[in-house]
Amino acid sequence: MLKPGRCLLRALILTMDLNFTTEELAFRATIREWVARHLPQDISHKVLNALRLTREDHQRWAKILGAQGWLGWNWPKAFGGPGWNAIERHLFEEELALAGAPRVIPFGPVMVAPVIMAFGSAEQQRRFLPGIASGEVWWSQGYSEPGSGSDLASLKTRAERVGDHYIVNGQKTWTTLAQHGDWIFCLVRTSNEGKPQTGISFLLIDMKSPGVTVRPIVLLDGEPEVNEVWFDNVKVPAENLVGEENKGWTYAKYLLAHERTNIADVNRAKRELERVKRIAKAEGVWEDLRFRDQIALLEVDIVALEMMVLRVLSAEKSGRQSLDVAGLLKIRGSEIQQRYAELMMLAAGPFATPFISEAMEAGWQGEHVGAAHCAPLAGTYFNMRKTTIYGGSNEVQRNIVAQTVLG
Amino acid sequence: MDFDFTDEQVSLREAVARWVAKDHGFERRHGLAKAGGASRAVYGELAELGLCALAVPEAHGGMGFGAVEAMVVMEELGRGLVCAPYAQGALIAPALLGFAVDAAFADKASAWLSGVADGSQLLVLAHQERGARYALDRCTTTARWDSAAWRLTGHKSVVPAGDEADGFIVPAQVEGQLALFLVGRDAQGLAVRGYPTQDGARAADVVLSASPAALITRDGLSALALAQDIGIAALAAEAVGVMDRLVATTVDYLNTRKQFGVALSTFQSLRHRVADVKMQLELARSMSYYATLKLSEPAAQRRRALSQAKVQLNHSVRFVGQQCIQLHGGIGVTDEYSASHDFKRLTMIEMAWGDTPHHLGEVSARMLDTAGVFA
Repeated sequence: MLKPGRCLLRALILTMDLNFTTEELAFRATIREWVARHLPQDISHKVLNALRLTREDHQRWAKILGAQGWLGWNWPKAFGGPGWNAIERHLFEEELALAGAPRVIPFGPVMVAPVIMAFGSAEQQRRFLPGIASGEVWWSQGYSEPGSGSDLASLKTRAERVGDHYIVNGQKTWTTLAQHGDWIFCLVRTSNEGKPQTGISFLLIDMKSPGVTVRPIVLLDGEPEVNEVWFDNVKVPAENLVGEENKGWTYAKYLLAHERTNIADVNRAKRELERVKRIAKAEGVWEDLRFRDQIALLEVDIVALEMMVLRVLSAEKSGRQSLDVAGLLKIRGSEIQQRYAELMMLAAGPFATPFISEAMEAGWQGEHVGAAHCAPLAGTYFNMRKTTIYGGSNEVQRNIVAQTVLG
Repeated sequence: MDFDFTDEQVSLREAVARWVAKDHGFERRHGLAKAGGASRAVYGELAELGLCALAVPEAHGGMGFGAVEAMVVMEELGRGLVCAPYAQGALIAPALLGFAVDAAFADKASAWLSGVADGSQLLVLAHQERGARYALDRCTTTARWDSAAWRLTGHKSVVPAGDEADGFIVPAQVEGQLALFLVGRDAQGLAVRGYPTQDGARAADVVLSASPAALITRDGLSALALAQDIGIAALAAEAVGVMDRLVATTVDYLNTRKQFGVALSTFQSLRHRVADVKMQLELARSMSYYATLKLSEPAAQRRRALSQAKVQLNHSVRFVGQQCIQLHGGIGVTDEYSASHDFKRLTMIEMAWGDTPHHLGEVSARMLDTAGVFA
């Protein structure tokens, strides 16, 4: 049944290939060269050494990307984006991560922009997208509430239509970096009829509006990374409603579906594994084979995760197969983030225990306990516990995965 | 970057799947295992399908196909829980014969390759020795030149399908160097003792007493390393097929079996376990692709990648195997039910070509400053 002698024919058919194409490699080289020339070294120094980043650091880098037209790197050409395919976007993200660029604050370009493109009015697109693309406007995400974590649809923040405004009352929480925010996109309750999901709307709110109060929440690493945001009779123009009233849940789900492979954060994991190795060598545990084997195991985990990401990218590019593994990528990616932070801390051992907050500032002139690289390790480890909790906890992700397998 | 299968590869997959559906149901498989695991007949059917010619060069009557086609076949054989020495006979043996450099052996190698291609000859690697565990360079079998021929003396164990084979590729020491030899089943001084293995297949101890042999290559270690890596890639693909099959059976069972008045699949503790099983399955599938696509890399990169793949594979097969048995409950530990046979095969796969400590050590020793698929 199988006929021999098809080698010539076979050579003409594209077959499975792990390698990037010449065009993809050239694309990567272009990005690499651009990043080398444009990423400020004082910023990458902070990122590569896990030192504290300021709002100004984030904004400066966002504006550099914005000026190049790459802050919306996942945007289609119709909205001024580069129109890259899945693999090009991946390569772009990888080059930025490996070079030590700060993580792009995703709420504007990655999260709210695609929703405005898909469901916003032409006027909203004209008004909001330029500020997102340029990096001028800092967006925050108003989803979670004190009573609504994993069960997001139970949210209670109310928006009541009064004339041509909404009056918003309620409280959001875990709002990442909202202390820097100019605008916030919120899921708000506009109806109590029917299922909880059907009474939710997607509202854009100027954070300078009277009645908005932001209070930082200090996390276990001592850093004010998230916030509580109160809305006390905040007047929001009705034109800031995205799409239709009570359809916000649909838009939020669209947003989640938009966030695919990036969720695994495998590029950053590769960079951080290199840091694990450097620290292990400097701290003398690299020669301890029982310790080194743990690094080797993490390396295997990262290769396997990267292969899973590449499978998804290939499927997206060709459109020939569909891979429903977003939940798996989130679970595995977050576990790996926790693991590299853990191994770095364990490599430093006793030298990870001092808590000198100023040592996390670039250019600190004080005396380090042990090597300077030890100072942020425990803090990063503590901070990373968030990764299996946010973005849909890993337990919620397991529900989603089980649903796809078991029905 | 492209992980799509070609139409031809899809046809190949379907051809094997059709044969499994028609001629290799669980009852036949179960019967073969109970009868002692003889699998040469099954191997013959694979040969009739043309599969034994897959990796043999066209000049020797083969199809000259590559690693991806081998992966496709192995995955389907796994999905059918097919017990046949396909990886040994049709993938590893032709690769090792490809190392033949000795002009005196060239004609013989060509004849063997033709026999491998049409399935009339089953040639298996006999390398395992007591005390060597997974080290390829630990070998006490010796070869000496006896004016007219090489003669081998030693004891090899757990040789796959050893008592069904027509010949053996045997590593032996020559002047402190590991060389590979070919020994015919009928060679003088050769004794074979066959036995069934836990997964329903057969293996044998092969004892050589000054048995005449033909030299394949003096660079036996490189050849063995390649055999191991081809073997790991084949196991990875097979395991993915077995796990696909086992997970499908488990999902069916959870959706059908009722306790406390509801289907088992309604219990969150079981649902989360299934999610974890799915994770390990997809990680293994990803690493199966990786293993296959890295086979053509230079030896150092290939070695590192295949050890990485085996570490993931070993973890996946153990987790998926154990958890799918647990998710079944009592029926999972019976002989009459297919899940237990899947589990036993997965367990043998973990112990073939290197366990986790062995390959983790390999990865650990070969780590670079950089990391990732393209490191």
